Amino acid sequence: MSRMLRIVNRVLLGLAGLLLVVFGGSALAIGLGANPPSWWIHDGRHDVLLSDADRARWRDDGWWWPTVIAVLAVAVLLGLWWLTAVLRRRRLAEVLVDTGDGEGALLRGRALEGVLAGEAGALDGVERAQVSLTGRRTVPEARVQLLLEPHADPGDALHRMTTEALAHARDSAGLATLPAEVRLRGVKHGAERVN
Amino acid sequence: MSESHGSESTQHLPVIEKAAESELGQSASAADYKPLPVLEETDDAEGRFWSARRVPAGILALLVVAGAGLLLYDVVAVRADRPAMHWRRSLAHELAERPLDDTWVLVGAGVATALGVWLLVLAATPGLRDVLPMRRAHADVRAGLHRGAAAMVLRDRAMEVSGVRSVRVRVGRRKVDVRAVSHFRELDDVRADLDATLADGIRGLGLARRPALSVHVARPGRKG
Repeated sequence: MSRMLRIVNRVLLGLAGLLLVVFGGSALAIGLGANPPSWWIHDGRHDVLLSDADRARWRDDGWWWPTVIAVLAVAVLLGLWWLTAVLRRRRLAEVLVDTGDGEGALLRGRALEGVLAGEAGALDGVERAQVSLTGRRTVPEARVQLLLEPHADPGDALHRMTTEALAHARDSAGLATLPAEVRLRGVKHGAERVN
Repeated sequence: MSESHGSESTQHLPVIEKAAESELGQSASAADYKPLPVLEETDDAEGRFWSARRVPAGILALLVVAGAGLLLYDVVAVRADRPAMHWRRSLAHELAERPLDDTWVLVGAGVATALGVWLLVLAATPGLRDVLPMRRAHADVRAGLHRGAAAMVLRDRAMEVSGVRSVRVRVGRRKVDVRAVSHFRELDDVRADLDATLADGIRGLGLARRPALSVHVARPGRKG
């Protein structure tokens, strides 16, 4: 889901950038004296951005105003959908645990997050951990933020996180895999000699 | 495949070294030996972290909603036989009056172009320059180390070298820049020790792509 949102965000940002570059750049170039091709919307440096004639070209056609209103309404709706998708932090409410007897149980996502964060925070070299689960309830994914203690080795901390906390969570929830994205930060501390 | 053949053929060489070194540093050589196969397999496979670009996307979405909503409201109001809002009439008037070589039009076009280039850059670049991808030790786990944390780890390692009084470490995306101040021992010795310690420290960070190391050592009084 976050992958999908990332692609949508980037495509729409790129599209907006492209429109701005094409129209802004062409207006700039023509305004500075470049010669536009004959089919372009502006035909010289003394032309205006949008003349009254251009603006009113289709005004008397029956389809013009309904089309304008429909396009604007669609833009508003898509914009609202995009805005909510960006603002909403998608977290997994529950994880489906396969109990092996054909039934299955639901595990609250928050509970698994709490257990994972607790175990990760207790690891050697980790001061604090934050976990959020995303993905779907049969294939959850974990996003982990680790805050490393002073003098901790990042490679070791990651290794412990993988082989202990994440492995335990995966096994106890009966999942085949638990893909995780881990980001490691360090606690700020002064430079002092340890020995 | 070729790797396994290579290790077979070179296996004869380390035997001599191992025999000589066995009493000296078994743990060190073991620690060196283990991560190597993993590292070489995934060295080039690990990509950057890509930002979701939430903030610019949110701002743009908000602008789209506000702009389209306002225009929609006004268009519908005019259709319902009410007068258009003032800004729309004056905007239409300005658009129809000002030629393209008008200063304000040029400024506006320049700003729009710059903004467009910036949005294109945002859309096409990964972002998250602060996060260095770590070597993938497990297929399911992707990890990234923040540059500040890497710098702090390396600084702590550098402070263990005797003769180092203070040290400043800057971790870039490709290069680690270390400036140390040494108050005793020969500078060359300190630099050699720092080189060795920090090279080991960088290896210990477990990064997918090891940054280059540059070490400068100076006496306290002298600047530079």
